[in-house]
Amino acid sequence: MPIVQTENLTKVYNPETVPVHALRNVSITIDTGEFTSIVGPSGSGKTTLLNMIGGLDKPTSGTVLVDGVNVTRLKDRQLINFRLKNIGFVFQHFNLIPVFTARENVSFIMLLQKKDKKEMRQRTDELLEAVGLGSLKDARPREMSGGQQQRVAVARALASRPRFILADEPTASLDTRAAMNLLDIMLRMNHEEQVTFIFSTHDQRVIDRARRVITMVDGIVEADEHRK
Amino acid sequence: MLMHFKLAWRNIWRKPRRTLITCSAIVFAVVAAIAMQSINRGSYEAMIERMVSFSTGHLQLQDYRYEDESSLDNAFPIDQTTLELVRSADERIEHVVPRLETFMLAANEEYTRGAILLGIDTDKEHRFNTIRNHLTEGRFFEPDEQAVVLTQGLSSRLQLGVGDTLILIGQGRFGMSASGLFTITGLLEHPIREMNTQAVYMPLKTAQGLLSAENHLTALLISPQRERHTEQVAASIREVFADSELVVFTWPELMPELLELMELDLAGPRFITAILYVVIGFGFLGTVLTMTLERIREFGMLLSIGMSRGRLVGVVFLETFLISCLGVLSGMALAWLILRLADPIRLSGNAALALMDLGFEPVLPMSFALDQFLMQGLYVFFMAMLASLYPLVTIFRLNILDASRK
Repeated sequence: MPIVQTENLTKVYNPETVPVHALRNVSITIDTGEFTSIVGPSGSGKTTLLNMIGGLDKPTSGTVLVDGVNVTRLKDRQLINFRLKNIGFVFQHFNLIPVFTARENVSFIMLLQKKDKKEMRQRTDELLEAVGLGSLKDARPREMSGGQQQRVAVARALASRPRFILADEPTASLDTRAAMNLLDIMLRMNHEEQVTFIFSTHDQRVIDRARRVITMVDGIVEADEHRK
Repeated sequence: MLMHFKLAWRNIWRKPRRTLITCSAIVFAVVAAIAMQSINRGSYEAMIERMVSFSTGHLQLQDYRYEDESSLDNAFPIDQTTLELVRSADERIEHVVPRLETFMLAANEEYTRGAILLGIDTDKEHRFNTIRNHLTEGRFFEPDEQAVVLTQGLSSRLQLGVGDTLILIGQGRFGMSASGLFTITGLLEHPIREMNTQAVYMPLKTAQGLLSAENHLTALLISPQRERHTEQVAASIREVFADSELVVFTWPELMPELLELMELDLAGPRFITAILYVVIGFGFLGTVLTMTLERIREFGMLLSIGMSRGRLVGVVFLETFLISCLGVLSGMALAWLILRLADPIRLSGNAALALMDLGFEPVLPMSFALDQFLMQGLYVFFMAMLASLYPLVTIFRLNILDASRK
């Protein structure tokens, strides 16, 4: 069942002056439960595509359907609410709230969703245990390594039980061991919680473990490979 | 809400040194502003208190014609019923003090001076104010005595002392001749400078007899239990005497020039306070500006994960509000402590002499009026509101992608 569908997605920056075509008629479909990697060299449009799917940017033309909803037509407030309910984000530079502990960072998103306190506590503890940070619940980001911070970010992204998770270069700031560890967790979550992962990367370690690889070059989908 | 408060509180302590410097600036402004106002208002409050106690009272009941023409012809008759009506008008009335007042000529064998004759009921007057404590020589008269108490200034001018005889010459009600000889039983240093060269106190009954004004008063001074009840008590009395020829005046109505002078004199400190706040305001804005700019990326992340712009603005506003609250509350507490320790400032040297020449005690009393403390809070809150406009506008206009690239 498709969770994300893009149709003739085009993005042109500076259309009036020096037009830069970031995306050219990109049409892809991603099904529920996929573990998809969007790869390509810098400037190929993979981050732009991710931003369009996440509703962080508007296309010049074309549509993005997430679970049947055309996100390109949503207004700012609707988009924020839509993201809160449906999409989990993992950023390259972790982007945790620095003054919050791991536990508070994870539960914050559920607080925005006005979840029940008991459920919030339970889910937070479960997720932190699942990403192997049960002993660092009360640690603040500055007291954790990059790999640990990124695992908190994954737990935070999963906390709201999103329809899918968008991860922009999630392993780019991590060493090999931390990157592999993170990938194991993401794959396990994908398998156990049936969470769809879509991430942009040019990290070969990630590409090797993805079950689907969409290759982009100059804003065009050059290859779309499904693996077993 | 708790989480948002926690977020705001921890955010302001991310850079503790910056927060403490900003708070200190606010503390300094609040202490300086309160101290300036307190000294000014303290002096005026003391002056007003003196005027109210020894001259006008908080409220006065008069004949409606007396204000325009302060003549004995416009004195009003007083009886037990009227007194009862006044007393029962409002339960917050504490003192009701009768006065009969007129201008007369005071003389010895050689000199004559203008004088203000004040016919008083000694019992009631002494319960109302501390004029008795200002006696420098002799004693106060008995209620029916043919005697007077003279102020120091007038006694010096007339070269009369305790035991001497004072001659009073003037006009009573409706042109009746009024003159008599009175024994001086005491001398007093009047707390109001102008009165110290003119006032002559006399028993009320004696004054009424002298002025052919039996059972008449020029004013009935009324004092509520608390100064702040003045207006309400005035309203109650007005209601009771609505259909009579008697009218009530409050002390600001009786001494408008004093209030105007006070307002004029307070304009200076207010102007300095305003400048102080503008300077502090810019410092505060600088802090808010830095706090906002260095967190643009974080704001972008929070909006990406689903925090609404309104909530984010709320958190940032809470941060500026908390910093200003910390500064204001600490400033208020410190100002209160300093004022308590300093109150009253006793002057010495030329400054003391200058005040004594003007008829004042050489002390600067402080005012602890709650409103001057609260107003500072309001000003700084207003300042925080203005300063938080910047992050508010920034957050509402923030492009998430641009923010994430910062």
